[in-house]
Formats: sequence, C-alpha cells, structure tokens
Amino acid sequence: MAIVKFFATLRDITGKREIEIKNVKNVGELLHRLYEIFGDEFKNEVEGRNMILVNGRNILDMDGYKTEINDEDIVSVFPPAGGG
Amino acid sequence: MMYGYWGKILRVNLSTGEIKTEEFGEDFVKKWLGTRGFGIHYLLKEMDPKADPLSKENKMIFSTGALTGTTAPTGGRYMVITKSPLTGYIAIANSGGFFGAELKMAGWDAIIVEGKSDKPVYLRIEDDKVELKDASHVWGKRVGETEKILTEEFGDKHVQIASIGPAGENLVRFAAVMNNGHRAAGRGGVGAVMGSKKLKAIVVRGHKRVEVIDRSKFISVVREKTEILKNDAVAGKGLPSFGTAVLVNIINQNGLYPTMNFRYGQFKYAEEQSGEAMAKKYLKRNKPCYACPIGCGRVNDTETVGETEGPEYESLWALGANLGINDLASIIEANHLCDDYGLDTISTGGTLATAMELYDRGLLTQEDLGDAPPFRWGNTEVIHYYISKLAKREGFGEVLAEGGYRLAEKYGCVDCFMGVKKQELPAYDPRGAEGHGLGYATDNRGGDHIKAYLISPEILGYPYKMDPHDISDDKVKMLILFQDLTAVIDAAGLCVFTTFGLGADDYRDLLNAAFGFNMSTEEWLKIGEKIWNAERLFNLKAGLNPLEEDTLPKRLTDEPMPEGPNKGHVVRLKEMLPRYYALRGWNEDGTIPGEKLKELGLEEYI
Repeated sequence: MAIVKFFATLRDITGKREIEIKNVKNVGELLHRLYEIFGDEFKNEVEGRNMILVNGRNILDMDGYKTEINDEDIVSVFPPAGGG
Repeated sequence: MMYGYWGKILRVNLSTGEIKTEEFGEDFVKKWLGTRGFGIHYLLKEMDPKADPLSKENKMIFSTGALTGTTAPTGGRYMVITKSPLTGYIAIANSGGFFGAELKMAGWDAIIVEGKSDKPVYLRIEDDKVELKDASHVWGKRVGETEKILTEEFGDKHVQIASIGPAGENLVRFAAVMNNGHRAAGRGGVGAVMGSKKLKAIVVRGHKRVEVIDRSKFISVVREKTEILKNDAVAGKGLPSFGTAVLVNIINQNGLYPTMNFRYGQFKYAEEQSGEAMAKKYLKRNKPCYACPIGCGRVNDTETVGETEGPEYESLWALGANLGINDLASIIEANHLCDDYGLDTISTGGTLATAMELYDRGLLTQEDLGDAPPFRWGNTEVIHYYISKLAKREGFGEVLAEGGYRLAEKYGCVDCFMGVKKQELPAYDPRGAEGHGLGYATDNRGGDHIKAYLISPEILGYPYKMDPHDISDDKVKMLILFQDLTAVIDAAGLCVFTTFGLGADDYRDLLNAAFGFNMSTEEWLKIGEKIWNAERLFNLKAGLNPLEEDTLPKRLTDEPMPEGPNKGHVVRLKEMLPRYYALRGWNEDGTIPGEKLKELGLEEYI
C-alpha cells in the first residue's frame, strides 16, 4: 500500500491531503487510478505539466511514468508550481 | 528623442546639497540596458572599489530599467546598486511595488546619490522640481509611519516613497531600502548605506507618460506576452493562488528545505507554515505590483498584527524552519517587524540561526545574553525580541546587527555561519540542488538565489528538468545562461517570476518593440554577460580572492545530508568551479583575462 499526498490546488479538487492506494505498479498506473477516482478536473490539472515525487525524488530523474511504486512508498503529487 | 528612457539622470551630492541633471543617449542603453548595468558603470567609473561602504566615498545608484514605467508585464521594478557593508562587494538589490515606475514617470531614469549629509534629509521629487528637505521629524520612525507622514506632507496619496527604517539609520549591515510598506530592495545592506548618508527617504510623484517608439506595435507585443503569463500554469495560476509560499511543501518534499541552520533538509512542521496553510488561515487578498499580471503578493490578516503583507517564501523560511520555528502567526508577525524596521528578512533569519547554533554548541551562553531570551531552536520569543533589538542596536542586538558572519567569527566558529561572502544563504540546501550551490558560490553579491535560480531546472523543471545531482558541463552552462539572462531581465526592469512563462526571445521582443532596436537574443544576452563580468571586476578590484571566497560553508561541501531524499549528498563544488571559470572565459584563479574584458567592451573600466 502506497501513500499518495496532494498539494496546492489538488487539495481543493480531491478534498483530501492524502490517500492510500493499493495494487499499482508504477506512476502511470497510479495516475490512471487517480483520474478514475477524481475525474476530469484532476486530470486537467496534472495531465500536461506536474511534479511527481516518489520518496522525495522526481520521477523525471528516474523512469518517468514507468517509475515503480512499492508498498510503503510515498508519492507526492503537485500541480505545476514555482516561486522563489 | 529617446524612447523607454528620458536620457536623464539626477545627481545628488549630499555633502554639498548640489543637485544636477546629466544626460545619456541611446548608445548608453545599448551598452548597459538599465538598473544593474547603469549602476555598475557609475561605480566602476566614479568610486574606489576599496572605499569604506559606509563612508562618503561610497555612491548609491537608484535606477529604473528599460521597461520600467511602461505597460510591459511586471515593468515596475527598480534597483539599488552600491558597495555592500555586509559583503564588502557589490550590492544589487531589486524591488517591485510602485516606486520604480513613479520615478520614471517623474522624468528620471536614475538617481546617483553621493557624499554624506550632516543632518537627516529626504529627497523630494515632483516631476522636474527636485529638492532636499529636512527629515529630522521622521528620523527614528519606522517604515510604515515614515511613509504615512511623508505622504501627508506631500499632500498627494499617489506619491511613492523609498525609505529606510531604524535599521538603516543604525547602520545594521543587512538593512533594506523599503517601498510600499513591504516591498524591499532587501539584500546586501543597501539601507545601511542610505543611513550612513543620512538620507531617510526619496519621495517621488510623476505625471509623465513613458513613451515607446511605436505604441501600437508595443501594445500588441505586451498583449501577447501578458497572455502567455496569464495562461501559464505557474505564473497564471500557482503563484496567484498560493504566492511564493507554495514552495514550502515542494522544497520540503524534495528534501532541500534548510532546517535549523542547514542541519537538515526537511522540517517536520513544514505543512503548518506552507502556502496552502497560509491561504486557508490568513490570506485576505492578493496584492500585485505595478503592471503585474501575476500578483504573487499576499495580504494576510492575523490577530496580533492585523492586515499586513507577506511573508514570501524566503522570509517564511528564514524566520521559521531555519530557526526550528513552526508557528505561522509568529512568523507573519516577525516578517511584519522586519519590514517596518527596514531589515532584510533572509539575513535577519540567517543571523538568528547562527546565534542559535552558537548557543546550542555552548559557544554563546546565557551570560553573554543577560536577561534576554535564550537562543533555543524553535523559541518564537527570539524572533520578535531580537528583531527590534538588532534594528535598534540595543543590548545583544549590537552584535547581531553586524550579521551572521561577524557574529560567528566573534564566538570562534566561522563554520557555524551559513553564508557566502559574508551574506546569509537563502531557502534551498544545495546538497539537494548542486548547480544552485555553484550559483551561491559564484554570485557577485554573495549568498543569494535570485541572480541565477537554478532551482527552476533542478527542482521545478523549467525550462526543462535537470537532475539536481548532475554536475556536467550542461549544468554549468545552464547556470551561466541563468546569470546572464537574469542580468538582462533585471536591467529591463522586469520581475524574474516572468521566467516561469517567458523565455529569452520574449524579452528580446519586448525590448526591441520599446526601443525600435533590431537586436538578437544573443546580443541582449551579451549585455547580461557584460554586466555579470563588470560586477565581478568591481569585486576583484575591491579585493575579492576568488579561490578562497567563491566557496560554500563546509557543512554543504564536507558534511553529507543526514536524512531524506538527498541523504549522503554534498555539493561537489571543487569539481564544478574550475569548469565554471573556464566556461566563463576566466583564468584558472577566477580572475578575468584582459582579452575577455576587451571582448565585452570593458577595457575602459580596468
């Protein structure tokens, strides 16, 4: 079971800070599951640009949407964001 | 006739009271573009870089940029350029709000302040009418009250004011120049230089329209770029919704949120002080600067201070996680105090963090502090008590007012100071973004994030994602590009947050449309490179020893990150720095060869 954390606008869309997800192999599968649960508004927010971390490491520095998700992993999902 | 600028600079000698007008032409714009460019030209030409920054020999340039006062998106910025009393090198502080645009609309592109007044004065500008006036009645007043009194005195609520608070008057080495209450030309102690000259404020009101060469063409380019920003997910949505504080959770989750003076890279209470939490608990509304379609500024309302602005991400961190403090309301109050006393929040927080580390190690003891609160991690009493003490140089505040480096040196632990070139570091632990670490080490104004924000590619993924632990030549080249491009954006008078939506070609389009030039992106970037090298030249002349000072605190290069996603990492600075020098076209010892200076047209400044 992995923990998925939501940030910024995704909290308003999902109404949650985090959920638990079972039986997903990788980030691509996880996103599909999240699109099913939270619908188009969620999909539109993250589909084009996003920041997804698995245990604090950006999936773009690993295997992208093929990055594996294992039990007890923490997945952080952000909409596009910046500042400074 | 000039476009974009008036070609007019105001020279004010505070020793003699003389006020003069000087002119410049289009060649000067093509050479230096504006703000930092204009500033470094005058500093290199007119002052000894070895001069004491708080003496009458130091000069202060308040300069607008090429697009300041136009309708270009975010075109309202000005910069203060002088020699820093904190670093001993160049200070280049940038501020938004409305002061810069008003100065341009009064018919002035820049002000050179020189000499030193015997008594407190302020500079009053109403279009062409310029005079020095007595400021005894506002000397000692905080920023909010100073603005209120001088606005009433002027009799026009649209007047814009850049002023110092008690911190600048008392020569606190990291005092800021403030405008619009909460907007700061923050870093490097520019407020202390203003205080040393006994110049309390510049009050300006302008009624002129800044002209561009082809108004309808310019408007269509501005519309196009503004649309890009409005439709951009970050500039058009993320920043307006949560402000810069949206970064708290991002940087914390990525494991580079400096905690307790950079001991750790994650703060367990980050969520409680995040942009999300602030929006939910305290946010009243957004407050954009002049001509800004983004609007990252926050107006918050808390029980203790009422309505106030900020804190931004950096301030929130500096007065929060870096001190182990988690209470958001206390941080908002501390930020308000810094603004009102006229202090740079990053250096204030960094100095207090140094004190906490010294106290924790037993090097600074309660005996040194007397009845004052102990510097314990997480002690909220510390921020409120010591901010006012250091601004007034009272009690132990006298030591803190000298900044973190001098504090650490006094108590025998220079390694307890987390800064570069004596300036406190901002809110990213570079053990989680090594290119950003090279940026800290090579920044002309010392520990700083905003002159080359490599967090963008390394963490946020703009313009594209780079691995934060990649230290190849590609990373070094990206840093150099960011340094040069940021110099162009600064000199254009625009906000660096536009980079989330705009690229180098977009700035070229805006500048060419305003001036009627036909310059390529490469030519504009060459001006950025020239500015960067000229600032470096000033530092070298001031005595910079590159191999000793283009460096990072030992904690970041020698002590692996103890936990989190970056566990085990250090910044491999020694592997990057020689390549940075080489790719800059510099000598192995970090100096600039004569042929490079010649290539950039800088021979006359050697």
